[in-house]
Amino acid sequence: MPSASPALRALSNDLAAAVERAGRSVVAIHARPRIPASGIYWRDGIVVAASHTIRKEQDITITLPDGSRVRAQLAGRDGGTDLAILRLDANPSASAVAVASRGGDEALRVGSLVLAVGRPGDEGVSTSLGVISAVGDKWRTWSGGEIDRFVRLDLAIYDGFSGGALVDADGDILGVNCSALARGTPLAIPTATVDRVVDALLTRGHVARAYLGVAMQPARLTNALAEKLGLGEAARGVLVVMVESDSPADRAGLLVGDVILSAAGQAVGEPQDVAELLGAERVGADLELSVVRGGEKRALRVTVGERAPASDVRRRGRG
Amino acid sequence: MGAAIAVAAAAPAGHRALAGELEGLARQLRGATVRIHSSSARLDAIGAGVLWRAQTGVVVVTNAHVVPPNRGDDVHVEGVSGYETEARVFARSRQLDVAVLALETPPNELTVATTGDARSLRPGEILVALGHPFGVPGALSVGVVHAVPNGDDGWLRADIRLAPGNSGGPLATLDGSVVGINCMIARGLGIAIPSHVVDRFVNEVLTPA
Repeated sequence: MPSASPALRALSNDLAAAVERAGRSVVAIHARPRIPASGIYWRDGIVVAASHTIRKEQDITITLPDGSRVRAQLAGRDGGTDLAILRLDANPSASAVAVASRGGDEALRVGSLVLAVGRPGDEGVSTSLGVISAVGDKWRTWSGGEIDRFVRLDLAIYDGFSGGALVDADGDILGVNCSALARGTPLAIPTATVDRVVDALLTRGHVARAYLGVAMQPARLTNALAEKLGLGEAARGVLVVMVESDSPADRAGLLVGDVILSAAGQAVGEPQDVAELLGAERVGADLELSVVRGGEKRALRVTVGERAPASDVRRRGRG
Repeated sequence: MGAAIAVAAAAPAGHRALAGELEGLARQLRGATVRIHSSSARLDAIGAGVLWRAQTGVVVVTNAHVVPPNRGDDVHVEGVSGYETEARVFARSRQLDVAVLALETPPNELTVATTGDARSLRPGEILVALGHPFGVPGALSVGVVHAVPNGDDGWLRADIRLAPGNSGGPLATLDGSVVGINCMIARGLGIAIPSHVVDRFVNEVLTPA
């Protein structure tokens, strides 16, 4: 029989080798009924998983790539990014599982050939092939998680694949696959985000979210008012429509009806502009606000608070 | 300028070569693939089948669910090269979803499938499927091994796009070795009966008593 596929054969071998290499870091997590989910051995003794696949907090076991089963404890979870971390009861040997080898961010390119590598059970590693279909900037999930890059995939996230690895053709891990962050759309959480969340969960047990305690809506100043305040035409801001009692905003004296013109020196025209200034690093820091109240401009200083960690959000998502 | 043009012209050659290889592979597999039409009071189905080497000669292997239920029932078989013949259901296992058909008047020259062992595959390896999805004759699909058969009786699972009409058709490696017979789509995954399971059944039913 003719075997006339040197180029395809080489690609096929590369793909199989990539799955094999990445598969040494991909584990199966038994923490829900029926289909187990996938996880990645991210650091010594630490497995990263998709939070929505962890349905019980006790008696969690993990199947390592060599087939051995070990016990693990839930060490923290973040509903915002749908990530959870598990700590193995005993550090496994290097032959049982390997710490994930990560690829750089530059590998996240639209059109790149990628594999989803999962281990949905004890029957070995499994995979699907596709491409990165879109790459975007930093985005915020509907439940408030900050994700450094938007990475949409054109590949199948099969049952049990959430928490598994997005892998390039070299077998380097580019992120954690998840089908539950955007209505079942296959997405990947890039490694930078995973590192940040793992650090936060290990040191504080949760991911800090900055918090002001206001509800806002976009507002346009009248031309007369803008002129009086020395602002250009079509000056915009955000109108405070609610202040939660005893919140950081309340303590700083912010009132309903105030129009915020700028925060931390940056002009704001949409509530989203304010939200984007409230990264986790702001917690405990002072935020300078310039507001219009009663036709006068005034400065306010808010000490940014921390939102109470949300309990895990049950998500819908295959995989 | 000249160099730039040379680069631009050289770049697509890689994927053109890939496409050429796939085309050759499709041609090779079409020779060993047939179209099966079963029509009876209870069944009107179009599926695919594979010309399979058995100890006693050449048979057609397909899925049980695309042929009539009784031994001796007639089906119509067409080869891609144009020959047509009637065939009888020789043996059928609903449990395995495999059927063996005997050709009434086999053409003089038949291309028989070469088979490979699905248990030696690796996840991620490229696979191709040939069949007649939604009636389109001799269509090729490309995907990868999703999971290798678990044990001697497990299925071969492929990350590949299949449709009704692929049933009974070959799932093959890049050298054209048939490693499975496509039999269903489960949650988007292509499920195939591994060739060694098919071989076992063929040998079982064709061994002279």
